[in-house]
Amino acid sequence: MKLIEALKLARRPVPETARETKIFLACGFTPLHLQAFLTAEMCMRMPENRITINTGLFGDLCGSIERIDPNGIDFLAVVVEWGDFDSRLALRTLGGWLPSRMGDILESATRTAARLKSGLTAASHSVPTIVCMPTLPLPPMFSCSPAQAGAAETQLRHIAASLAVCLSQESGIRVVNGQALDEASPLDGRYDLKSDVLTGFPYTLPHASAIGEALSTLIQNRPSKKGLITDLDDTLWSGILGEVGMERISWHLDAHTQMHGLYQQFLASLSGAGVLIGVASKNDSAVVEQAFTRSDLLLSKNDVFPFEVHWSRKSESVERILKAWNIGADSVVFIDDSPMEVAEVKAAFPEMECLVFPKNDYDEFWKLLKHLREVFGKSMLTADDAIRLRSIRDTSAWRDAIQSRKNSYDDFLKAAEACVFFESARPDGDARAFELLNKTNQFNLNGKRFSESEWRSFLKDPATFVLTVSYQDKFGSLGKIAVILGRTSGGVAHVSGWVMSCRAFSRRIEHQCLKYLFETLEADEITLDYQLTPRNGPLQEFLTELLGETPGEIVRLSKEQFASKLPPLFHRLEGIVHV
Amino acid sequence: MSDQENRLIGCFASVFPGLSAEEIRGTSAQSEGIWDSLSAVTLAAVIQEEFNLDIDPEILPELNSFESFRSYLTRMIPGTVNGKS
Repeated sequence: MKLIEALKLARRPVPETARETKIFLACGFTPLHLQAFLTAEMCMRMPENRITINTGLFGDLCGSIERIDPNGIDFLAVVVEWGDFDSRLALRTLGGWLPSRMGDILESATRTAARLKSGLTAASHSVPTIVCMPTLPLPPMFSCSPAQAGAAETQLRHIAASLAVCLSQESGIRVVNGQALDEASPLDGRYDLKSDVLTGFPYTLPHASAIGEALSTLIQNRPSKKGLITDLDDTLWSGILGEVGMERISWHLDAHTQMHGLYQQFLASLSGAGVLIGVASKNDSAVVEQAFTRSDLLLSKNDVFPFEVHWSRKSESVERILKAWNIGADSVVFIDDSPMEVAEVKAAFPEMECLVFPKNDYDEFWKLLKHLREVFGKSMLTADDAIRLRSIRDTSAWRDAIQSRKNSYDDFLKAAEACVFFESARPDGDARAFELLNKTNQFNLNGKRFSESEWRSFLKDPATFVLTVSYQDKFGSLGKIAVILGRTSGGVAHVSGWVMSCRAFSRRIEHQCLKYLFETLEADEITLDYQLTPRNGPLQEFLTELLGETPGEIVRLSKEQFASKLPPLFHRLEGIVHV
Repeated sequence: MSDQENRLIGCFASVFPGLSAEEIRGTSAQSEGIWDSLSAVTLAAVIQEEFNLDIDPEILPELNSFESFRSYLTRMIPGTVNGKS
């Protein structure tokens, strides 16, 4: 982006009523054009918001971070440069580059790193924090030739890298990936000595633009896609299984089909991170089942659910997979080596990203892997990511069991040996609860989405309660599946948010939630901030059933009214918390 | 009006939003409440990027009005005669 474009974007008109997103940009140098680029990038990502960027005292990065009032800001963006570790590493300071001073510089850098770690960690507990570690080349101050990495220079890089390791492990901190920035902004085009000396701004405009983009990407923290549907022949492996047989399909170096092995390895890693993997293949299902017994396959049968293997149209398979996963087509990527199949699925699901597997093009394959990592990347994995596929498979088994049951539904529920766990949300942000609140559509009280800062403020407010609900039964564990939030006053529990994963439907967990609230909060009445949304029909049905009429905007439910409608519940309760 | 002058007006407009083209032509460091050190630095950066120039810091203080930038560009950009490219 050019500076002139950034300035125009940053000054675009926004309605008076636009929500304000406040970002504090902390850096040790004059933020000048970086502020313009960051504002412009945020304006593009949040076009309906008014973007306000405040800055701290230049030249005192640690102090700026330590003095921040996190209550007034939505995000903290921190850009660290070498001069922040020790001013002698910046070119505006004439502090001496004598080899005998290197030990002192390293000690000072170590102390600053500890201070940055402490300040940033503390700030991140209150406000989502994005950190960009040094991006400029170190000055030519070392006694070695630039071709050689001397001890002092290597130790400085180690100090910065160690700090980045510590920060990246904090749940409230996202660190800009230096490798991604290297691709966007070549090292030799980053530093502008003239600008640094004359104005105190050290970056070339293209580099400032690249940093603005990197910071805004992490501030936005776009939700990742949820599922990937893959073809098998000439995609997951090389060869047509039905023609060459399971022994002759390949994915190895010696057969020059390594990229299929890499693809399998990649899908297995996505599956391990909670991405749903499904198969849509025109094949004989028995032959595919046999192929998946090969022990050298890098994607195991257990990593995949469901398998749609038959001779029907791919779009039909995709439709069934979406139904099994119960997610929208816009959250899924479809990959097939046949452009015709890709076009057929794309025509049926225009909102789905449909990609051709580039089976003979190494460069394109490399780009595909990088692109997939971009769309499926998550800022942090939760415990529920590890059990997601299994949980969906268990839910499917549950539905099958309901269909084939011989006894009454009550008997079926009783025999399920279900256990419901109630917990207070963790004050550090509870990533899974936050994810549920912002992704759940069908059982969602009002469709309200939370920004990270709103969510953290809610968690910190002593007047509120935030309950998370987990579930397991003899079919398996669903993990954390519901979040309820609100406040209490005078015997009334006001529920302002309530979401539940669709996987948890038909188990009367929603009834157990209300019962739990009445009992634990000793409430005589529960009010619910209900709002009809285009997709929360299941929640509306539930409330209609309880109230005996279509719910209005504020739903009032008395203890007696609820008791009269309460069906038998068979859950065992655990993890009782007092809210 | 030349393309170069139009682009220069665009640069000024990005730094001084709300001014008309006519007002921009009359803008200078003496324009009260508009021209400050921050806008001067930003303006120089925008113009350098837009015209792919590297302005000598020595003459930067002299570039203190729309007219002075216009004259400077006419002198510095090869292939332009009297502001016509």
